[in-house]
Amino acid sequence: MAPLFIVIAVEFIAAAALRQFLLAEDWRVVVGILVLFGALFGLMQLRPAIEQKIADAFREHRRLAVIIGVVLAIGFPAALGGNSYAIHLLILALIYSVLALALNFQLGSANIPNFATGASYGIGAYASALLAINYGVSFWVALPFSALVATLFGFALGLPSMRTRESYLALVTIAFGVVVHQLLNNFEWTGGPNGVVGIPAPSLFGHSFSSPIKLFGLSLPSQANFYFLSALLLVIAIVTANRLHSSRIGLAWNALRADELAARCQGINVVWYKVLAFAVDAFLAGFAGTIYAFYVSFISPDNFTFLVSVTIMTMVIVGGMDNILGVIVGAFLLTLLPEKLRAFSDYRILFFGVVVILFLIIRPQGLFPQRLRRYGGDS
Amino acid sequence: MAGELLQQGLNWLTLGATYALIALGFSLLFGVLKVIHFSHGDVSLVAPFIALATIQGVIGATSAELGAGSLLLGCAVAIIMTGFIGVLLDVLVIQRFRTAPAMMALVATVALGIVLRELIRHLFPNGSNPHAFPQLVQSQVTLGDGIQVPAFSLLAIAISVAAVAILFFVLHRTRLGMRIRAVSQDRDAARLMAIDPRRIFFATFFIASAVGGIGGLFFASYAGVVRFDFGIQAGLIGFSAAVVGGLGSMSGAIVGSLLIAGLDTVIQATIPNGAAYRLVFAFVLVIMVLVFRPAGLFGRTVVEKV
Repeated sequence: MAPLFIVIAVEFIAAAALRQFLLAEDWRVVVGILVLFGALFGLMQLRPAIEQKIADAFREHRRLAVIIGVVLAIGFPAALGGNSYAIHLLILALIYSVLALALNFQLGSANIPNFATGASYGIGAYASALLAINYGVSFWVALPFSALVATLFGFALGLPSMRTRESYLALVTIAFGVVVHQLLNNFEWTGGPNGVVGIPAPSLFGHSFSSPIKLFGLSLPSQANFYFLSALLLVIAIVTANRLHSSRIGLAWNALRADELAARCQGINVVWYKVLAFAVDAFLAGFAGTIYAFYVSFISPDNFTFLVSVTIMTMVIVGGMDNILGVIVGAFLLTLLPEKLRAFSDYRILFFGVVVILFLIIRPQGLFPQRLRRYGGDS
Repeated sequence: MAGELLQQGLNWLTLGATYALIALGFSLLFGVLKVIHFSHGDVSLVAPFIALATIQGVIGATSAELGAGSLLLGCAVAIIMTGFIGVLLDVLVIQRFRTAPAMMALVATVALGIVLRELIRHLFPNGSNPHAFPQLVQSQVTLGDGIQVPAFSLLAIAISVAAVAILFFVLHRTRLGMRIRAVSQDRDAARLMAIDPRRIFFATFFIASAVGGIGGLFFASYAGVVRFDFGIQAGLIGFSAAVVGGLGSMSGAIVGSLLIAGLDTVIQATIPNGAAYRLVFAFVLVIMVLVFRPAGLFGRTVVEKV
């Protein structure tokens, strides 16, 4: 098959499957799509040549693949036919994809177990929400500012990593997450357990994000505004992750993961790269938090618990450590699945726990393992 | 004044004893397995639920009042069952990570804690709600010059001291203890001496979980209620205490527990609404200790061999 055809077919089939999955009302359809996905995945497991062919096709027609992807992403809300619930789910999946990519810098690239991504997410959300409510700051100013605040906290969280490793470092991150949650819950100026209510919707060039998009006679529900915003954020996150992965920083992180001592002997400033991983994670999580806060217009400490951090970790582990596509697939699966299988939603957390354990035992590298770095050639 | 000081002192020792019983498990398991068993707190807090179920079962079967007999039986069953649950977790999950990187075992046990909590929530009748847990003894004891103290505190301290004494006796004076220490020193050398590490791991899991179960019973009894998600708090406090003292050091775990319990008591007595911030202060202590003494107060710094 021509590589060009493979690229187009894969992207359109994936988009169509996602659309069906989002619009499916019946849980049997959802399970059917999942089985199909599992079967395809199994086939690729058995015949690695197929996977290789697809990967090669995408490498050959990279620019075209990106263009088709962007066009599909822009047209997607229209294809959902104004189903605002489906768009809502998509926004959540996009935000969680960004969070999972953020954690991936640590867990996937550098093997640092950070149980505080949920806290950075919360710090970003609270910083921007409080700014908007108390000082009337607009969304576009709050966005970079809250990311900055989250990054500062990320640096602070990373500092103890100079002295601690592995389990001890994990404890520090868990402690950080719990402390942030308790403080948000107890301070008066954060609204305590009631949270922050009435965060104003952002507006751009006079268009309020709380009103529907009307273009060429086509009307999209107001959620579409945030869909485009979070999709843009995900694009930024992907580009960042891609750049970092192929830079010296990504290499240094991978060296850290392989053997910290050997990395140090090679002259890699281990402490700096660890702290940097924390900062990058917090920066992206802060971004995601801001968008979430302005999207739902109401946040409370319970949105940013330890369980949120574990959920994000599950996405990275299931998707595939240090594989951008894998992490996004993991985030989409684990955000949409519990929503689509409402009947079992009570067992959602149990499901996450069991899935993590099973994956760690059976397939610790995740659905999509990291591909070998390729140097030279045409890439 | 003296009465209140004594009251607070007893409070401190009761909390410290409870934390120590849970912290010891973290240290023991880490010493032997070199793996953090992050769900140990949740395992410990299964004990009160088993005790409650047993007591309700006994009362249902004999239609008797809640008495010392059924309470004692419930606690005994709970402690033994909790020990076996620890072994079960090792057989089902943790033993698969013996040779894996430490981070994977860590994440797996965190997930295991979530699974345990959710199982309690779904399997125990009305599992999401808090359940009243009976005080093990309710009477007040009058000391010397008319100062009244709850008998529960004295009982908890006495039993904890006894449990710790037995644990130290087992570890240092019995054949089993010698084997446990041998495996903790060097797994392969122990195997050469005809010690089966698998059996030692099972024994360690049983002991640590059963001791943790006693701690869990005190934890619930002290609070008067127990809820499915208390395990995470107990686990974080117990693990913090073990880390402050130095993971792997038994006496360190006890000192760490007393330190955290002391901080806890002082804050609750002096800061209004201090209880809301107890974990915050405990963790600030942990982070301070880790930053200045990364191996804990009593821990030995591991020198990496290349």
